[in-house]
Amino acid sequence: MAEACAAWATPGRDARLLFGGTDLTVGLRHGHLTTDVVIDLKRVADLAADIGPSKGMLRVSAGTTMSALAAYLDREGLFAALRDAANVVGSIQIRNRATLAGNICNASPAADTVPVLVALGSAVEISGPHGSREVAVEEFILGNRQIDLRRGEIVSAVLIPLARQNCGCAFDRITRRRGVDLATANLCCLIDERSEVVFAFGSVAPRPLVVRSIDPVLTDPSATAHDREKTVAALCAIAAPISDVRASAGYRTAMLGVMAERALASARRRQQVGGTHG
Amino acid sequence: MAKDPHQDAGPTGIAKTALKLTVNGQPIATKVSPSVSLLDFLRDDLKLKGAKECCSVGECGACTVMIDGQSVNACLVLAAESDGTNVETVESLSAGGQLSTVQHSFLKCGAVQCGFCIPGMVMSAEALHRAVPDATEAEVREALSGNLCRCGGYNRMFDAMRDAAGDVPHCETTAPVTGKSVGADISRLGGIERVAGTQEFLADIDLDGMAHLKLVSIDVGRARINRIETEKAMAVPGVIDVITAADLPHPMPHFGPTYRDRPVMAVDETRYHGEPVAAVVAETKEIAAYAAGLVGVDYDALPAVCTVKQALASDAHPVQDPALRPGDPMAETNILKERHFGWGDIDAVTPDLVIENTYTFPMVTHFAIEPHGFIVDATDDAMTIWSPVQHPFLLQKIMAQLFDLPLSAVRVLAPDPGGGFGGKQIPKFEPLVAFASRRTGRPCRLVLTLEETFQAVRRAAAEVTVRSGFSKEGDILFHDINSNYLIGAYADVAERVTTKGNYLGCGPYRVPNARIAARAILSNTTPSCAFRGFGTPQVNWAVEGQINAAARQLGIDGFEIRMRNVADKGDEIVQGDVPADGHWLQSVQKAADLLGWDTPKQPGRGRGIAVGIKAGATTGLSNSTVRLLADGSILVFAGTSDMGQGARTIFAQLAADALGAPYDRVKVIMGDTSIVPFDLQTSASRSTVFMGTAITRACEDIHAQVIQLASDTLGLPEDTIQVDDGNIILPSGSEPIFDFVQKKLGAWNGELIGNGRMRKPTDKDHPLGGSPAFFEFNCTAFEVEVDQATGEVLIHNHVTVGDVGKALNPLQVEMQDEGAAIMGLGHSLYEQVLLDDDGRIRNLGAIDYRIVTTKDMPEKMMTGMIENADGPGPKGSKGVSEGAILCTAPALAAAVADATGVVIKDLPLTPERVWWALQEQGAVAAQ
Ligand SMILES: Cc1cc2nc3c(=O)[nH]c(=O)nc-3n(C[C@@H](O)[C@@H](O)[C@H](O)COP(=O)(O)OP(=O)(O)OC[C@H]3O[C@@H](n4cnc5c(N)ncnc54)[C@H](O)[C@@H]3O)c2cc1C
Ligand code: FES
Ligand code: FES
Repeated sequence: MAEACAAWATPGRDARLLFGGTDLTVGLRHGHLTTDVVIDLKRVADLAADIGPSKGMLRVSAGTTMSALAAYLDREGLFAALRDAANVVGSIQIRNRATLAGNICNASPAADTVPVLVALGSAVEISGPHGSREVAVEEFILGNRQIDLRRGEIVSAVLIPLARQNCGCAFDRITRRRGVDLATANLCCLIDERSEVVFAFGSVAPRPLVVRSIDPVLTDPSATAHDREKTVAALCAIAAPISDVRASAGYRTAMLGVMAERALASARRRQQVGGTHG
Repeated sequence: MAKDPHQDAGPTGIAKTALKLTVNGQPIATKVSPSVSLLDFLRDDLKLKGAKECCSVGECGACTVMIDGQSVNACLVLAAESDGTNVETVESLSAGGQLSTVQHSFLKCGAVQCGFCIPGMVMSAEALHRAVPDATEAEVREALSGNLCRCGGYNRMFDAMRDAAGDVPHCETTAPVTGKSVGADISRLGGIERVAGTQEFLADIDLDGMAHLKLVSIDVGRARINRIETEKAMAVPGVIDVITAADLPHPMPHFGPTYRDRPVMAVDETRYHGEPVAAVVAETKEIAAYAAGLVGVDYDALPAVCTVKQALASDAHPVQDPALRPGDPMAETNILKERHFGWGDIDAVTPDLVIENTYTFPMVTHFAIEPHGFIVDATDDAMTIWSPVQHPFLLQKIMAQLFDLPLSAVRVLAPDPGGGFGGKQIPKFEPLVAFASRRTGRPCRLVLTLEETFQAVRRAAAEVTVRSGFSKEGDILFHDINSNYLIGAYADVAERVTTKGNYLGCGPYRVPNARIAARAILSNTTPSCAFRGFGTPQVNWAVEGQINAAARQLGIDGFEIRMRNVADKGDEIVQGDVPADGHWLQSVQKAADLLGWDTPKQPGRGRGIAVGIKAGATTGLSNSTVRLLADGSILVFAGTSDMGQGARTIFAQLAADALGAPYDRVKVIMGDTSIVPFDLQTSASRSTVFMGTAITRACEDIHAQVIQLASDTLGLPEDTIQVDDGNIILPSGSEPIFDFVQKKLGAWNGELIGNGRMRKPTDKDHPLGGSPAFFEFNCTAFEVEVDQATGEVLIHNHVTVGDVGKALNPLQVEMQDEGAAIMGLGHSLYEQVLLDDDGRIRNLGAIDYRIVTTKDMPEKMMTGMIENADGPGPKGSKGVSEGAILCTAPALAAAVADATGVVIKDLPLTPERVWWALQEQGAVAAQ
């Protein structure tokens, strides 16, 4: 690990960190990215695939692929929303390589696991020449393809709080087709034990966008659909998506409302079923 | 320390690193450049060519291999990353000479068409089969969704996985067959090679001393080229040549099938996004690609015309130099050709209902999983060209003309295309590669990236305005059709596409009055070319839309209005031309029955139906030679390309049956113009009819010789001997020709050679140069549901029925039909090439151009066929393979309209488009 950090910190070289390579290799191939040196983190023993509880957190080492993560969460009945998000990243071939940490570090606004990680209050554990630090995922992603990572630093794990009980959480996304596709827009809805509702939106801003509400309309089963929709729409209004080749801003905005409604409903169902994050 | 640049460093000068891994059980220790992908390492260094390259970005799965038991995209893995791992490629699955269970099932269930996607697909299937042997269909769809098959074999793959799991799916192939093979589900010739990954596609060919080309283009739709700077690229070690227009003959040679309007390389001006301005020739493809990035092009972007409106504007610049079209009164405009057809008098009728609408059809691209590739080995007085071209003889002719060589000096070797769909008909970069080969004295190879392929071929976009008149009972009284087909910067065959599609613009109906105006309009976009359906899907989208609109407005069911108007056998469709050649109403009825048109619909569901016809080949010549050898085995020589449609198989079946031989004793030889006799082309679903007939006649030629042989060797008068159905009938009894010749032929003279030909001469007075040899008729029906909140269309059932005459190989007919249907779903639901204002393609490549994956397949897809043996081909067959793409979109849109009430006239029906239409409807309703 120290060696990798040192290699990465060597001045005068344009170096890139590589994990699954499902973003990096595409970037290099297309000439969006250039580099002199690629540091393959798969060779760093300290980062090897490893998932397990640690100090109240689920610690997912940087070497953990989406496939391994989804299988683990499924087996343990944990974080259904994260499992769902991990399961829609690319195809099986992609998920066999793509890492959770890479999905965060790549800092694409369309990353599917990021809204879930943000809603769950996750953090990244960073190791560097000067020791390690933890940063909330929400803070870590600074903008489109920009992260709070200094030269010589490596994300060594993703930490997801385990302690919270009786939460419900759901992920949803809109794509142009059902098969492998990048999200046109995606979001995660979390209802916590105090009935606070958190929405984290993806693909609608350069960095993850989070809104919180304790408006009882959202969780009260007796509230009318109309009132709930109005409140959801007001929460979604903070997003100002752009138009691009995948969709128009208008469609994205409207879909946020639709997904928010749907995710809220499944988060509530999951909360009722019980367990950690449904 | 000085190093030989070729030995140890890649083009960027980075030293190679050590690599130790196991590949298919073999330990390997070597050195690789750190930038080389595992895919290139396997293919180029280890010569394991099973894994294929298409998209290079992890979207298509053609490169799928397993690393430590997990499937991965080899294009996204650096070779260096696989250090210490255990890599398995498709070659390992049949290493012991036995196909794996999954491979066997793929073959048996007809999942293999062109085969280019298959090695990757089989690896994904294998990974699933190992992990979950009895996978559910949902699991299969998920597991295969990272592998694209443009031939559309998905349904068959679902069957194959059930077969592998031990279930018995509904269709099976029998192989090899003894006795009659025509009409049986014979397994595909070349199928084993395709599942095993040993089928040699163009990019798999290695020639000694071969150099590699990379094209240089500029990132704008149209530009004036000021200066091209080649020094830096030339200085890269391993670069052999950098070719610009200045290095080619002056004036620049132009070529094209009808219009000779395409320059070998752009001179002074580029006319579409991606048109090459230079080419780098280097020792390796990596060096060529690297150096291409160092070619500096100084250019000024020019305004581009990219829409019908822009191209027809009074102040629009002409896309092509008017001097290219001497004597053409429209040479100064962007209208390459305007055609008028019609009959009756549309102004003389008084309809109860007149409807007028404009429909648009987007630009779509072929997206064959095999990107285009070319190899040429040229000297001053001869050349050999390897190209997966659909028309080897046309390529031969064009190259002979361009280089002023006799036809005999131009040899075309056409490896089977990894999907053609019309995109591989006409020469594209063969001339440029030939010049490169002549200049360098080396065989030269150019394999396009998928992005470059998008810039090389596409279907014409269209804007079609139709005014139609109906009686209140629902009879069609007239159509007044105005079609604008937006073709590209060079004509290719786009003018023919426009003409042929619109000639039958009124569709398979009895239409008493018609007026059709069709324009092929040049624009600063990728040259459009032939594409499955050849101009019909565009106009049919509009005209079928009109029929559906009339049905809705008159309160008639979509099925009823078609039963009322669709032509039946013998009815005139285009007045004065050949009438309907099939009982088309039977197909309409069958489609409705398969869908359950009369059954109650669940709430929220909608149904739609549509029909279409396409003209088969109108002219042309196919020759075949058949050699019956002394041991009864047979060689069939045919100039057809087998690009997945299975021509080889059909030909073998025909010859086997005609000569009483087992199917596995026939070898079909194709794809070498120096060996096989002339065949005009592989297109318009013509091979079975034209080449099939030529082969049948060649066999008849042999029959006459068999009679002579028998008369000679047995001392019998010829009139006491007959040949029938593959048997020789002698006074003493009958036996298969196959058995008979084994006893007699060796002693006589060794072999019998038969020649056969089918020729349909040109009719100068016919707008198409001849009446269609047959029609491809199809009826498609859907049952759908629409997510009103997102606009997403969920297809519960997709039915297509074709009028095939006779299915020589029913499984292959179904495969072709489903393939066309799935491709039709693509342009109906997702596909469109998007341009920006400067004519740049915004969604170049696999990431943002969406085609159908396994997960997008309808819940149920069914194919039916009507067989009345009423076609002109062998046993009464007609061409198939395009029918099911003709009317997918209008049938689907009708179903969406039925489910939601919204009528959409622009394709594709993306969730977003459907959603906006629903919003508009809501807004109107609220008023
Ligand atoms: C065909 C295809 C489909 C896809 N579909 C989806 C999708 O649907 N949803 C989605 O969210 N994503 C999708 N992706 C992207 C997804 O695969 C990646 O975001 C993946 O999770 C990145 O992980 P990786 O290990 O491959 O990262 P890499 O490509 O190895 O790295 C990505 C970036 O993160 C940096 N990095 C990686 N690991 C670390 C670390 N430990 N510390 C510091 N920096 C690091 C790298 O330097 C690089 O800049 C798709 C990709 C492809 C090719
Ligand atoms: S996924 Fe590797 S070539 Fe397409
Ligand atoms: S068989 Fe799948 S692409 Fe041709």
